[in-house]
Amino acid sequence: MLKWFEETDRENPSIIYSRIRLVRNWTEYPFSGRLTEEQAREMVSRLEKGMREFCLEDGRDYEFAMLGDLSDLDRRALRERRILNGTLVSKKEPAGLILSRDERVSLVLNGDDHIRMQFIAPGMKLKELWKEADRADDFINGIFPYAYDRKYGFLTAYPTNVGTGLRASSVVHLPALSTGKKFSSLVGEMSRFGASVRGLYGEGNENYGSLYVISNQKTLGVTEEEIVGLVEKVARQLADQERQVREMALSSDRLGQEDEACKSYGVLKYARRLTWKDAMVFLSRLMTGVSDGILKFDGPCPVFSIMLGIQKANLQRVSRRPLSRAELDVARAAYIRAELPELSGL
Amino acid sequence: MLCEKCRVREATIQYTEVVNGVRTEHNFCAQCASEMDLGQDFPLGRLLSGLLGLGTESPREEKYAQVVCPTCGTSYGDFVKDSRFGCPDCYEVFDLLISDKIKQLQGSDCHKGKIPKNRTAEAGKSAGKEDEAPGEDSSLEEQIARLYACQQAAVRREDYEEAARCRDEIRRLRTGSETDA
Repeated sequence: MLKWFEETDRENPSIIYSRIRLVRNWTEYPFSGRLTEEQAREMVSRLEKGMREFCLEDGRDYEFAMLGDLSDLDRRALRERRILNGTLVSKKEPAGLILSRDERVSLVLNGDDHIRMQFIAPGMKLKELWKEADRADDFINGIFPYAYDRKYGFLTAYPTNVGTGLRASSVVHLPALSTGKKFSSLVGEMSRFGASVRGLYGEGNENYGSLYVISNQKTLGVTEEEIVGLVEKVARQLADQERQVREMALSSDRLGQEDEACKSYGVLKYARRLTWKDAMVFLSRLMTGVSDGILKFDGPCPVFSIMLGIQKANLQRVSRRPLSRAELDVARAAYIRAELPELSGL
Repeated sequence: MLCEKCRVREATIQYTEVVNGVRTEHNFCAQCASEMDLGQDFPLGRLLSGLLGLGTESPREEKYAQVVCPTCGTSYGDFVKDSRFGCPDCYEVFDLLISDKIKQLQGSDCHKGKIPKNRTAEAGKSAGKEDEAPGEDSSLEEQIARLYACQQAAVRREDYEEAARCRDEIRRLRTGSETDA
């Protein structure tokens, strides 16, 4: 079965993926930070039993795991694939993970909050994902009553999530737009509307890969539909501006654009050693070349999937051993050579 | 350059914070930085506590720090330190202290979105008849909303006794409806 990131969305190639995250707490227990080890264990096992009902209803193929049973490397690899966050990677207390095989749906039990639901899909699918999350939320709510307050809405451990408990985000690829002078003021502008724009792999000039995460800043005082609408609007607008800048670049200097895309393909296809930084930069240029129609392949070319694949924990997992920095560069180049499809004529 | 925090030792760690696209730079010495737990896995809580926290340690704020949630034992001081609540009841216990700060953080202090199914189900059970649930629910909720408005007004004129009375009454109504269920 294909993972979500192995599929590509052709409708708008600049929008890489969309994600909906909902956090909820069960009325029966204090928040996760205040649970004793015993309480946490009991709650996770009760939650897990209830969630089996959800999994049956949902019909997807799910895997259950206790985070403590996963190796440190597996946890870090799950973080690279957006399933776990930083605090969950190092969490010592009992916590559970329920993950669909395509990795589109994940439920974390006793993370920062009791229940964290996450839905991911390639392309701009926020509205669809929200519908799915809303349904799942109602079903799970039928099993576990949620902590809720008339004034503050859904109660969460951190005040940054209170209200809807919803974080909607979209990742967009903005290699041309982000080099423009006006980009940082554009980003500031977005935050005035309540959308945050930050680099997926680093900030400012060091965001190698030119991938940007657009998400809602506020979770309280706005409806779920407004949040989803805002993030979608901002992401689409940025993607649209990116397209315009690229069309201009293509019409003024097509040869230059072709040269950059083809050179990047050449380096990625034949290099024997690639640092993370170089690989991300060339993959970003490759992504641009593919979406501009300069580089053509017989099948799909899942560039983002390769980007996820060349991260440190995944390379070590694939190699089944810890790697030194030099070995990582070799493993990275080998991974890209193997994953990159052949061009189908230029 | 001297460390911003202690102003004694040489600053060796440069820490860049980006909030709402605004970049601010701080310079700390290694000791202060380790006390603040800066580093790769910078806890969000600590960062937020700068925004939420007791910026100026006035005696009044120090007194507030002693307020403890009876359900989970989290004190207001704990909340300020970690920016993290201990249990759902904390929101009610600290309501007077946090309302403005949540408003600052979120731009609002009133939920507009989805209402969980369990609320309507509970109201249904307490009314005894499923069909009449919405009516029963709204009258109880209306009472609570009225009390809440009273409480807010009392806070504004700094009549904390009255505010506490409203809070207790709200709590009584809420727990009453739940035990009936």
